[in-house]
Amino acid sequence: MDAFRKIDIDQYDEDRLDASELYEADPRDPAAVLDEAKQRQAAVRSTLARSDIPGALAIVLENAPYGPNVDDAKDVTLQTLLSILNSTKSTEITPAIKALTPDAQDTLMKYLYKGMALPGWGDISGSVLLGWHEKLTEVAGVGCIVRTMTDRRIV
Amino acid sequence: MSASSVSRAAMSNVLRPYLAAVRSTLTAALTLENFASQVVERHNKPEVEVQTSLEVLLNPLTISRNENERVFIEPSVNSVRVSIKIKQADEIERILAHKFTRFMTQRAESFIVLRRKPVPGYDISFLITNTHAETMLKHKIVDFIIQFMEEVDKEISEMKLSLNARARIVAESYLTAFNA
Repeated sequence: MDAFRKIDIDQYDEDRLDASELYEADPRDPAAVLDEAKQRQAAVRSTLARSDIPGALAIVLENAPYGPNVDDAKDVTLQTLLSILNSTKSTEITPAIKALTPDAQDTLMKYLYKGMALPGWGDISGSVLLGWHEKLTEVAGVGCIVRTMTDRRIV
Repeated sequence: MSASSVSRAAMSNVLRPYLAAVRSTLTAALTLENFASQVVERHNKPEVEVQTSLEVLLNPLTISRNENERVFIEPSVNSVRVSIKIKQADEIERILAHKFTRFMTQRAESFIVLRRKPVPGYDISFLITNTHAETMLKHKIVDFIIQFMEEVDKEISEMKLSLNARARIVAESYLTAFNA
């Protein structure tokens, strides 16, 4: 078949919808976002040293980086979050989740799915994430998962 | 209680958080409605398969127990695609899983929601459209997928055991010929 027949003509359409038009872009500069993520990582370390799990979660889940171009900041935030999840005892999970705001719960759910989608896993075991997922669903309900699926601001 | 039922209870306890996560995610994803194609007039296709309009595709989610056992759920406005990666510990299990999924996909129309071809990287896929969700009970569809995931591991380990037992008998009866 001639090559011109395979051209996707819809891409030249004036009304075409781009992936970037589906959500409000993050106005911050990527470098600034990365800086903020690193500062948060340090803040979380000191909060974890006082074993204040809800405080650490609130810090890391507030203003989480989203959108394209901020992959480094996303990685830092994910690693920070995973370190919190790993150092939480199973009895402390439910109270920690209940202390979060609904927005923070949604962000936490996004990160849980992101953690499970990681190809290499690294230093986290699936049972930790699954345990958190189960308790978060108990507290926040199925609506939290729906918001994870529908929110275009992918963390 | 027999030894096998004890081990089965222990296994389902290990599996339980995984299956619970799949169950809640599937329940969330199965909110489907009739939605005609925006690209081709008077067509009605599963949007997750055609991938032509971005705005009706939702974020795909992965649930995994470990690297070898994962479920990939791709929701859209009128269809959900569920792909399962079955645990395959060794070569025999890999062959058995392949034969088993092949047997199922060749009879896909009897299972209604089964997809004829798995998504790359996964062993078996299901495609649930709004028609399925309307003609069948939603929680029963979820139950079916969960039950399938429970059974498939059990089925493959049972097949592996009987395969090994059969190989042992065959080898024994073959070698007795040289003993006489």
